[in-house]
Amino acid sequence: MGLAGGAAAALAGCATPGTTSVNTQPVVPAAAAGEKITLTYWAWLKDLQKVADIWNAKNPNVQVEVSWIPGGNDGGYQKMYSALAAGGGPDLGQVEMRSIPEFMLVNGLVDLRRYGIDEHADRFDETLWSQVGFADGVYGIPQDSGPVGMYYRPDLYEQAGVPVPTTWTQWAEVAPAIRELGVFIDAFALDDASIFGGHAMQAGATWLRSTDDGWVIDMADEITLDVARFFDKAIDDDLVTTSANPFSPGWYAAAADDKIASLVQASWGDALLESVSGAEGKWRVAPAPRWEHGYGSSFIGGSTAAVLANSKHPKEAMEFAVWMTTSPEGVDAMIEHSGIGWSPARDYIGAAREEPSEFFGGQRYNTEVFQPATQQQNPDWQWWPITQQTFNILGDGFRGKATGGTLVDAVVAAEQRTIEVFRQKGLTIRKADR
Amino acid sequence: MTTQTARTPGPAGGPTTGAAATRSAARPRKRGAVDRAPWILVSPFLALFLLTFILPILVAIVQSFTKVTRAGLFGEEGVTSTFAWFENYRLVLEDGNFVASIWRMLLFGIVQVPVMIVAATVLALLLESASARWPGFFRATFFLPYGIPGVIATILWSFLYVPGLSPIIDVSEMLFGYTPDFLGAGTVLWSIANIVTWTYAGYNMLIIVAQLKAIPSELYEAARVDGAGPWRTATSIQLPLIRPALVLTTVFSIIGTLQLFAEPQLLKSVSPAIDSQYTPNLSAYTTAFAYNDYNLAAAQSVLIALVAFALSFLFLRLTNRSSR
Repeated sequence: MGLAGGAAAALAGCATPGTTSVNTQPVVPAAAAGEKITLTYWAWLKDLQKVADIWNAKNPNVQVEVSWIPGGNDGGYQKMYSALAAGGGPDLGQVEMRSIPEFMLVNGLVDLRRYGIDEHADRFDETLWSQVGFADGVYGIPQDSGPVGMYYRPDLYEQAGVPVPTTWTQWAEVAPAIRELGVFIDAFALDDASIFGGHAMQAGATWLRSTDDGWVIDMADEITLDVARFFDKAIDDDLVTTSANPFSPGWYAAAADDKIASLVQASWGDALLESVSGAEGKWRVAPAPRWEHGYGSSFIGGSTAAVLANSKHPKEAMEFAVWMTTSPEGVDAMIEHSGIGWSPARDYIGAAREEPSEFFGGQRYNTEVFQPATQQQNPDWQWWPITQQTFNILGDGFRGKATGGTLVDAVVAAEQRTIEVFRQKGLTIRKADR
Repeated sequence: MTTQTARTPGPAGGPTTGAAATRSAARPRKRGAVDRAPWILVSPFLALFLLTFILPILVAIVQSFTKVTRAGLFGEEGVTSTFAWFENYRLVLEDGNFVASIWRMLLFGIVQVPVMIVAATVLALLLESASARWPGFFRATFFLPYGIPGVIATILWSFLYVPGLSPIIDVSEMLFGYTPDFLGAGTVLWSIANIVTWTYAGYNMLIIVAQLKAIPSELYEAARVDGAGPWRTATSIQLPLIRPALVLTTVFSIIGTLQLFAEPQLLKSVSPAIDSQYTPNLSAYTTAFAYNDYNLAAAQSVLIALVAFALSFLFLRLTNRSSR
């Protein structure tokens, strides 16, 4: 009887999680003066507790405890989603920029405008700030990101007798000479569409926009299709390798073997590049090649500290996140201990990043390349509630390239499929007029 | 009888009604205690079984018939859950990638399960043959891969598959001038099959060995007296008698095949050919935890269970019929 009753109650309690919104409930008041509270932060940055300890020493009443979780879709989100579904979870969670709308879809995030985030808005990079705002709310504090540049091997370019390209057209022109040396100019990840998304973003595409009357999709626009055609040709001409994704074991082996001449990647690629064996001093950084239209760079990756729906102290959590991501001591500590990507603080890139880099042969690549790159971004780009699914659909389509498909077909099909998934969820979406 | 019941200390009640009352109550109570005992003893198991097995299955079935609709950009204008009939199942079956993953696993199973069972049987027969040397040592050696968790095994094997790291590819290039591609669209399935076979052949072998050991030695003696050699003993005595073990291991393998998850999930990072819906379980996992669509994922899981159930049932029916 007791068991059956318990089972029935449990069944009744199993309504699909994430169907009520915290942002329609009253604002949670700040902790009373003198009250001692503990915030929890789930993040996959390493040694983040050391950063929090600096804050803890100065704020005895608001202590922050960091728990490490696996990165994003490798398990961290699964853990956060489950915790949210169960009505719990930490005060803060590390959520990638692109995943914020997905967390909003399950009502997992607190709208920080209700807690006065606006007064801190001017401390953040404008493009990144625009990527955390949706439907008149702000749902995450930018924590790190990755403006894109091009890492390259001057020795291999010299050996091939070609200049380092500044445009994608030039890139395609010099690639065959490099290929003749048995070297690839770059790798194209068939299964990770986020890099392709970065290229489209740079070329000036905006795949989805939120408007007052629903979402507008414009994924298979001419700009994106041009980018797809460009890489279709590069793959067909065997200029890039598709069998070793950047930073996969195969890629590291090829890079260590001098088989990779350059890599168009985000600023956080520097730390990964340093683990290529014997690479010290061989690489340099240049601005990303440009399309004929669009922008000088794009953002790939990037995460936020988001206040999760079940937080008991949203205001304090927000204040800690703002301190961590924009104060010089927070930024410097995050670079030193956690090795974060590009800092989202508007005026401060981190003391360590202004120094010349030994690994890149003394180049001051951060101030020379990446800092200007943050000023040349596509301001219209927005993430959408099924970003990961769209990227997976696109990636699954790109894999068809190995068996005779094209990237162009995959983009067109992914747009259609994305529309279907939106509609299955009941969300309003229409194709852009073109 | 009456004296017995009279001695039974009755409950606090009048002596007049006491005898009659205890008389009718005593027996059922005694029997009741006996009836209850097994339930009390199995209740710890039953409670966990219900809570962690039956209940989740029921919840999954309920969820698979539920549909969540969101209004507005993110559902900020209201979220409704409705009974969806077979809508989720329709969507799942319309999803070409999911259906393809089930066919892929069938192809995988048709090739890998027989290969593994034959390998396990051959190893078991060799170990149990009269001329085997150090059977204990080899039994442990063959079983050893099963002791390595699937995740670790896959990471180990991936280093033998990745170009630039793999000594196998290096040696093949050196000796034959041929570069095998273990991770391509057409080959990675069999690279996974190789890992699975490597891991589980020894385990299945052990089940078969146990059954071989249960064969009475008189049968061997009788066969020897009749002049049967090792080959004849294997085909006429051992193989027919280990049939139940073979059926058991095959059913386990069929179920295991449909549940393939860890190997492709890990190999994904080195093989672009493995997509997010490569196996049915990977599909359900991605739908639930990457796309947050628990309803669709529940429908996928229920379908996977149904297919596994149908296949196992079919196989058992076939083997039962042929044995009659």
